[in-house]
Amino acid sequence: MTLSTPLPLFGALVDSAAWPALRIILHLAFFAAAVIILWRIWTRLAGAKARPGQTLQLFGALPLAVVAAAFLGVLLYQASWHLTGLFRPEFVAFMQSHDRREFNPAHRIQRGRILDRHGQVLAESQERDGRVYRVYPYGPAFAHTVGYSDPRFGAIGAEAAANAQLNGATPEALASWGELGRQLLTKDKRPRGQDLKLTLDAELQLLALQRLGSRHGAVVLLRPADGALLVLANNPAFDPNRLSPGLFSGPAAGTPLLNRATQGLYPPGSVFKVVLAAAAIESGFSGTLPCPAGGYTTSSRYPPIRDHDYYTAAKAGRTWGGHGNLNLTTALVESSNVFFAQLGVRLGHDSFVGAGERFQFDRQVRLYPGTDRYGNLSTGRLPRFARNDLYGLAQASIGQGRVLATPGHLATIAAAVANQGLAMRPRLLAQEAPAPLGRYMAEPTAARLAEMLRKVVTTGTGRGIDGPQLAIAGKTGTAQNPRGAAHSWFIGFAPAAAPTLAVAVLVEHGGYGSSAAAPIARDLLLKAMELENAR
Amino acid sequence: MNAAAGLAATWDLRQGERELLLSCLGCIALGFVLVLGSEHAAGRQLTASAVLPLLIYGLSLIGLHLALVLLRFRGDQVLTAVVACLAGFGLLAQYRMGAFAGTLGVDNPELYLIPAGFAAMLLTAAAGANGRYRWLAKGLWLWAGVSLVLLVVLLVTGTRFRGAVYALGFTTPTEVLKITVILGLAAYLEQHARALARWHPRFPLLPPLRALWPLLVFWMLLLGLLALQRDLGMIVILSVTLLVVLVRATGRVGYLGYGLLAAAGVGALVLTFFAHGQRRVEAWLDPFQDPTGDGWQILQGLSGMYAGGLWGEGFGNGSPEYTPIARSDFIYAVIGEELGFLGCVLVALFFLILVQRGIMIAGQARTDFGRLLAAGLTTVLAVQTLLNLGGVTKAIPLTGITLPFISHGGASLLTTFTAVGLLLAISDGPPGAARRPARTVKRPPAAGATPPPAPAPAPRPVERPARPRRRPAAAKTP
Repeated sequence: MTLSTPLPLFGALVDSAAWPALRIILHLAFFAAAVIILWRIWTRLAGAKARPGQTLQLFGALPLAVVAAAFLGVLLYQASWHLTGLFRPEFVAFMQSHDRREFNPAHRIQRGRILDRHGQVLAESQERDGRVYRVYPYGPAFAHTVGYSDPRFGAIGAEAAANAQLNGATPEALASWGELGRQLLTKDKRPRGQDLKLTLDAELQLLALQRLGSRHGAVVLLRPADGALLVLANNPAFDPNRLSPGLFSGPAAGTPLLNRATQGLYPPGSVFKVVLAAAAIESGFSGTLPCPAGGYTTSSRYPPIRDHDYYTAAKAGRTWGGHGNLNLTTALVESSNVFFAQLGVRLGHDSFVGAGERFQFDRQVRLYPGTDRYGNLSTGRLPRFARNDLYGLAQASIGQGRVLATPGHLATIAAAVANQGLAMRPRLLAQEAPAPLGRYMAEPTAARLAEMLRKVVTTGTGRGIDGPQLAIAGKTGTAQNPRGAAHSWFIGFAPAAAPTLAVAVLVEHGGYGSSAAAPIARDLLLKAMELENAR
Repeated sequence: MNAAAGLAATWDLRQGERELLLSCLGCIALGFVLVLGSEHAAGRQLTASAVLPLLIYGLSLIGLHLALVLLRFRGDQVLTAVVACLAGFGLLAQYRMGAFAGTLGVDNPELYLIPAGFAAMLLTAAAGANGRYRWLAKGLWLWAGVSLVLLVVLLVTGTRFRGAVYALGFTTPTEVLKITVILGLAAYLEQHARALARWHPRFPLLPPLRALWPLLVFWMLLLGLLALQRDLGMIVILSVTLLVVLVRATGRVGYLGYGLLAAAGVGALVLTFFAHGQRRVEAWLDPFQDPTGDGWQILQGLSGMYAGGLWGEGFGNGSPEYTPIARSDFIYAVIGEELGFLGCVLVALFFLILVQRGIMIAGQARTDFGRLLAAGLTTVLAVQTLLNLGGVTKAIPLTGITLPFISHGGASLLTTFTAVGLLLAISDGPPGAARRPARTVKRPPAAGATPPPAPAPAPRPVERPARPRRRPAAAKTP
């Protein structure tokens, strides 16, 4: 066939350096040809109109006008996406997360930086070889909170929650919108978004991670008065600079994607006694309960619940005489399981469920604006037992059994005690106004509980972290779990007299709360106070 | 000798069409080179058969024009050119979406869709030219029957896919309804237009039910069957056409009012009782509620358009494969992505000219049947185009119908071409008149045909006795 000669020629032309320019010329020529056809038709029709008997009558003009108006309406509406789609923040966010067309201008927006409270850069866009990349200078340290924004994998965390602002598209700033639209139309400019400031403190976050070391766990530090989160640290984490499909497929070792601080559900162990103590004070409980070494059980069929002193003594080959009669304060200071198991049963199911509701268990608290469920803080899970299941209630009362809570929620509980019983909604964006989350307990209850928690650190299970520099109040926890050694917990606040910081530390399989979690909390609180006093 | 002279006259007469078709061919060829180049740049091997679609398209245009000249066809010339352009855009878009990929070569049936369309158009135009299309009016009950039987057969034998019903080989024979129903409608209205225009003299809101009921019953059956097939797009297209043609035939705007009322009622019914319809409306109102589910297709289409911007990436250089079902319902999004907003405006303008020609032909037809048929077919084309464009651009909810001439789909393509063939046949003018340009044809029948003021029709005296009975009742009320 004769076609066989021109085709290789054409192929060579396409492969040559002239093709990109030629392509544009062809493109324009195509448009020009279409316009010429339309022009010819137009002149022909305009000429025909002059003929008698061919004018459009009412029956012709009106429908044509209606159809033309409909076409015009569709085209105008289309233009509001097609040309000025940038005016629709949700649309731009969708394209950045879900559009795999690499030539889409939405991918070339130079997003604003994400900063910590002192202006340290946690995420920024850098241009290399005409393409814009998102860079996270601290690597995995802020991975869960800052999140990531990637053309292949979408966006999560603050990157997703403040997408519109980071793209520069806050609807209030109409002038900058126009500029961005103009730049996007020309397709080769790099529009710049607006910066986003978080409440986090990079220095404290790094300290928390450094103290966690290779151990898995989570650290949360916040200001009780306004809910601003200073630290939200998780280990392990992933590196948002190096996302790969493997990260998202299948169960990875250590589940680095899990935001342990906000989504990790752990048995709270003894730190849950704070909730029960609050319920006891509010119900008017006073007096003492007997706490023998033999422990406490609701039925002879179930093994007794004992204090950890019993096991320590047994391990050392000693015998332990038991605590004797304990009141609420001494029981909390000694972290007596026997006392709180009895107390829970005595208060009853209704009181337990009521406390769970007041402390907002089984809820999702939003950390960012927007509705992304991955950005929420899960509070925890309280079991529902049958009314005759007293043993379950006894176990739940010491934070074991089926009680689960996230480190983030336990931090807000500590913060509520520090803030006269009022829990503030934890927040990450500096621009968001503080808002109350709920009243967890009455003011006098909080005051009494705060005194007790201070005693835990001065004379009780937490005395290991007591020091002259800072008056810390808090509660240790050692949570039994089926997967290995006990989880180590500490929740608390400082300074005890006028708290400005609240903390929750979880070290997975860290053993005693006093030995693993409490020292991290102390170091973090000391450093935070030091930074606060320095500024 | 006379025949040769006539031929030469037609050759001269259709010079405009020739020029338009040739520029159209040039335009499509430019686009074709662009697509071929990007295919090659993307690493696909070009063989000689890669040029076949353009070759066949060009031959079809030439064949169409020569055949029209040979037939001494006097009908519309712009219409054929507009259809050729739109079909050319469709060819480019389908080529770009991989319709002609593979090793089939000349055996690829896709190659012959557009020529088949042109052939159908030509045959219809030739058969109906010279006023012969009026014979179609005699088949009133045939058209109605064929429409309903087709729907029933399809319901019984068809297979469901994505909610809709398809016949063997994933064809959609219901497309034929866009012609048969309109034929039946035009035929019925031609016979009963006068009766239908005579609304109740005392209760001006009461339409003449006696003349209306056969139409209403037929329409109920039709819509019921279509509703069973969940063919919402077809329901809207046919119902709007019914109203337009009714008003056109009777001059009574009241039908439009009742139509709007009925539409509102049916719409509310669908929204309250069908979760399917509700979800579509929700996906339309707020696609971001479920961006990766219900909103995915529309948002991907819009993303592609946004990426295309004002000028587009050029044919073959976009990535429309990320938009689901881009080849059929969302082909407009492909054009928006690769030719940009300007390309969309061009396509819309071509469609607008198509509608203008249809309206013109309806206005110039010499018979009521021709007028109504042309108006009906034009309305079908206009509504179908607007529903598709509006759906893809999120201006209205998605109805899942094709874009005439451009979307992929044999039945839809053939039907649309046939409809244009009918329009061409109507535009050919009245029979008998010498083979001269239409403008020189005076209207001798106009004076003679006006019916002499007829003596009072017979029924009137029969009606009269009823009146006195009503009068006292009316007198009592004030």
